Amino acid sequence: MTRVKIKLGAVEAIAELDERGAPKTTSWLKTTLPIKAQAVHSMENGREVYVILDDARPLEEENQTIYQTVGDLVIYYKPAIFVKPEWPRHIRDYLVIGFVYERDSAIRGISAPLATNLVGRITEGLDALAHEAPRMRREGMGKMSLSLA
Amino acid sequence: MRKMLFELNGAKAVAEMHDDVVPKTCDAVWKILPVEGMSIHANWASREIMLHLQGEKILRLPPEGPVRRTTAPGDIVYFWRSPQMSRGKQLAYSSQFQRELSEFAVFYGDPAAGGLAADDPAREGRTANLQVSTLFATFIDLPREFLQRCEEIRHKGLQRLVVSRLEG
Repeated sequence: MTRVKIKLGAVEAIAELDERGAPKTTSWLKTTLPIKAQAVHSMENGREVYVILDDARPLEEENQTIYQTVGDLVIYYKPAIFVKPEWPRHIRDYLVIGFVYERDSAIRGISAPLATNLVGRITEGLDALAHEAPRMRREGMGKMSLSLA
Repeated sequence: MRKMLFELNGAKAVAEMHDDVVPKTCDAVWKILPVEGMSIHANWASREIMLHLQGEKILRLPPEGPVRRTTAPGDIVYFWRSPQMSRGKQLAYSSQFQRELSEFAVFYGDPAAGGLAADDPAREGRTANLQVSTLFATFIDLPREFLQRCEEIRHKGLQRLVVSRLEG
C-alpha cells in the first residue's frame, strides 16, 4: 500500500492510494510526485482543496465517482467555468488533485455532478486538514505539497 | 431608486436597490446601513463574497418578490439560512454563523452553474421556509478594481467590506 504525505500549510496528513481500484492513475501519480503548488479552495464544490497539476499527459477515466465523500483524494479535469471566447481550447479545463475535508461537498462541472478519479483515501490527519483549510480560507491560502511517505 | 456604496479594501462600487420589486426587504436593509465586517469568499456559489450580518444588524426577513432560479453577475442577494440547513462544520465562519446564517451575498462574477450551484436540490430550503434568498440590489457601477479585490479574498483571506447608504 503506497502512502502519500499531504502537507497543507502547517499540517500534515497521510493518504493511502487505491492501487487496486485505480492502477493507472495511481501509477501516474507516483511518477508525478512530489508536487508542491499553490493550494486553492474550491468556490463551487464545497469543502475541497486542490492544486493544479502541470502535466500534459492525458489521464484516463478510472475508478470514477460522482459521490465524493470526506477524505477522498481525487484527480480530475476541472472545467474552467468562466470560459472566454478568446481562450484557447486547451485551457477550458485543467488537471487537478484535491481532497474533500468536510461534508457539504460535491464536485461539479458546469451544471452537473462531475465524475472524478478516486485515487486514495486520507487515513491520518484528516481532522488537521479540516481545521487548516478553513483557517487558510480566512487568513489566506498557502502551499500544498504531496510526496511519497 | 436608493443606492448603496460598497467599499472593499479601498475599492468602491455602487449598487441600486430594487425598491419597486422587493420594497420591504430594501427598507429592512436600508435601516441597518451602514454595515461593515470581514467578507469571506463563497465555496459553493462561485464568484460571490459574503458579508455576514452580526449582532443588532442581523436580519431575519421573510421571502419577497418573484422566485428566482438563476443569479447574474452584479446581483446582491439577501440570504438567510436556518440552523437546520447546516451540514458539516462551518469552521471558516465565526461561531455566530456556523449554524444560522444571515448575510449579503455579493455576486461579483458569473455564479457557478448559472447561479444554480448554491441552490441545488439537496440544499433547497425555500419551500420549507428554511432558506430565504431575495435579490434586492444590483451593481450599477462595478469597477475592475473592486472585482479584483473580491477575487483576492479567495486567495488572501478575509477583507473588510463596508456597505453604506449613498445619498445626495
